[in-house]
Amino acid sequence: MAAMASLKSSLLLPCPLSDFSGAALSISSQTRRRSWRSRGATIKVSAAADSKNILVMGGTRFIGIFLSRLLVKEGHQVTLFTRGKAPITQQLPGESDAEYAEFSSKVLHLKGDRQDFDFVKTSLAAKGFDVVYDINGREAVEVAPILDALPNLEQYIYCSSAGVYLKSDLLPHFETDAVDPKSRHKGKLETESLLESRDVNWTSIRPVYIYGPLNYNPVEEWFFHRLKAGRPIPIPGAGNQITQLGHVKDLATAFGLVLGNPKASKQVFNISGAKYVTFDGLARACAKAGGFPEPEIIHYNPKDFDFGKKKAFPFRDQHFFASIEKATKELGCTPEYDLVDGLTDSYNLDFGRGTFRKEADFTTDDIILGKKLVSV
Amino acid sequence: MAFSSTAAATAAAAFASGHRSAACRPSSKSSSSFLGASFPRVSAVRRCAASGAPARRAVAVTVRAQAASAGGKKSVLIVNTNGGGHAVIGFYFAKELLAAGHAVTVLTVGEEGSDKMKKTPFSRFSELTSAGAKTVWGDPADVGAVVSGASFDVVLDNNGKDLDAVKPVADWAKAAGVGQFLFVSSAGIYTTSDEPPHVEGDAVKESAGHVGVEKYIAGEFTNWASFRPQYMIGSGNNKDCEEWFFDSKNTNPPAKILANFQIPTRTNLRKKRNLAGIVRKRPVPIPGSGMQITNIAHVRDLASMLALAVESPGAAAGKIFNSVCDRAVTFNGLVKMCAAAAGIDAEIVHYDPAAVGVDAKKAFPFRNMHFYAEPRAAKEVLGWTSKTNLPEDLKERFAEYASSGRGEKEMSFDLDDKILSAVGVPVAVAA
Repeated sequence: MAAMASLKSSLLLPCPLSDFSGAALSISSQTRRRSWRSRGATIKVSAAADSKNILVMGGTRFIGIFLSRLLVKEGHQVTLFTRGKAPITQQLPGESDAEYAEFSSKVLHLKGDRQDFDFVKTSLAAKGFDVVYDINGREAVEVAPILDALPNLEQYIYCSSAGVYLKSDLLPHFETDAVDPKSRHKGKLETESLLESRDVNWTSIRPVYIYGPLNYNPVEEWFFHRLKAGRPIPIPGAGNQITQLGHVKDLATAFGLVLGNPKASKQVFNISGAKYVTFDGLARACAKAGGFPEPEIIHYNPKDFDFGKKKAFPFRDQHFFASIEKATKELGCTPEYDLVDGLTDSYNLDFGRGTFRKEADFTTDDIILGKKLVSV
Repeated sequence: MAFSSTAAATAAAAFASGHRSAACRPSSKSSSSFLGASFPRVSAVRRCAASGAPARRAVAVTVRAQAASAGGKKSVLIVNTNGGGHAVIGFYFAKELLAAGHAVTVLTVGEEGSDKMKKTPFSRFSELTSAGAKTVWGDPADVGAVVSGASFDVVLDNNGKDLDAVKPVADWAKAAGVGQFLFVSSAGIYTTSDEPPHVEGDAVKESAGHVGVEKYIAGEFTNWASFRPQYMIGSGNNKDCEEWFFDSKNTNPPAKILANFQIPTRTNLRKKRNLAGIVRKRPVPIPGSGMQITNIAHVRDLASMLALAVESPGAAAGKIFNSVCDRAVTFNGLVKMCAAAAGIDAEIVHYDPAAVGVDAKKAFPFRNMHFYAEPRAAKEVLGWTSKTNLPEDLKERFAEYASSGRGEKEMSFDLDDKILSAVGVPVAVAA
């Protein structure tokens, strides 16, 4: 894993939490929302939330890093279940020393391999937890021992994926849409089915593409590498394929909002950004975020190339976006970040400071550009 | 924005019209003043939401009539265009209002005896008059005289595209004390963006005629709302094939209606021709990748949205509503759905208009780009839901087409043929 240096800054880590009053009608899109956004201001802690004993499966890599902080701030006892390969806690870019000390002193760690089902069952049963946030579960078999260990579980909150939706010519995807039992994410679907079949209060969150500082999936990073190198951005097809990105902090907020929320009981929610974006548009947004000039975009037909095992582009080559109106309406939450703001946040706290997860690899770019130059 | 507590109570009652609930009826003055607190609109909607008022549907006529007689009856004037894609909006809206027990007058631009009135929806006005609507004809600039001095609670201008056309109506309405002024605008005024969808509040093209109207009515009325449609389908639309067949003004070859699409321009014709091509088993030329998305709503969605605004004037006041359904469809997907509706497979041929040397605007009936708005304001503010189901709606449209026997008529596809030959696709002439 590439450098993930500890970074100091006096920037407060924003942790926006909606208040619940008048939720259904506070989301008017009639006016630009910038004026009332309180990002970076004081953290509002959800009122009257009983302190819960919360287990987070994962929590040291991306979503869980932000979610666990939010939960600790809300006064819950948070335990992270990980193998310990990544540091249990690390100071985030933009997080003050005081805040980090506060968090790291409170969060607990349960070391183990979640694939060791016997260990999972015995260790969890021994400790007992009120709520489980399953951030890194992939297969239903991983979840069964957790449910077995915690018969009095108040809520099982699962990080699923919008990748479960069956491809359609009618978009966006709504939670009621058909799912694809053959998709790459069928483990997520099977987990949702398991949760439904067991007598547990479950909530499933389906994000689309997640972005933000510390992203280990090269989403924005892929663009930033090319922009920094002054390289053209090769985009497959017409570049008008529409996708959708959601900021990790907004996702953490959403995860926080479903905790103990009766409206989330046995419900699925799509969570992502309020607007969608074309591939070409995303390249331009990343350029804006990093203060780069307008990028040169090269379109190509992926069928003309054989990239071997390498991925030439980080997004699925199709339209892929989901409606977040159910979460907006039921949970009273709208995303804080619009795309350029969110990408700017990611750039300022991560790539722009010289940190990234994967080294730049322009092999496939050169294949594309090489052939393109020849054919001109 | 002036908003009386009485209006709030009325709105509350009207909002609950689909669900008989005593809690939402303004039973006394004290309940009115309760609703008239700092956020009357919010209170009104909340109280009715609590009683479980569902989204409106033009289904139970008796329930609607009850609601109207409870004190929510309004008199509504619809100033309606006499042609084009938007004509059908007024027709469905009128029906929705009549079913809800409101008094409706439709002022159609022009003369009752004109040839334009031989086409749908005008030729079906008996469906309105038999339900109690008044239909009059005239010049909207003389609206006061045309309606013989009648007064109205609500006026919808479903005619003007710019201030020249709408100003006389708006000025008359204001002077006459009309409580609510509604305007059918267009989602075409949004500026293009890398980030779909167009949502209410997004930047618009300041020079657009509709924008001028919206600004004007916003300044003139405390209770105004603007509705921005995209494309529509629905029985009774104005683009009838026989008319086009004989219409000499039409620069395009005559066309058949496969599915009755409504768009506010003449390119409606080319769309039908392309889709009619499906029936004749011709390849359908689609510019670009065919991944461009658009929004096609059943016109009853627009009517229900307008009706909700009438029934919840407080909630709708000062708002812009994208009058569209809540799903995007790609061009490729649309062709596939039309073919499925016709029970056959479609062959799509993609082409680059510039390379082939055709103007995409002439060769293809939709904007050759992503053009997709979402109806977020209507859902949030009016509790509206979309009932459009494009695959099913297209089947219904095709059934009407097929039963009309129009599938057999001779048609020419000159522009298509030019494209197909440029791309090198042979066209087997179907029987």
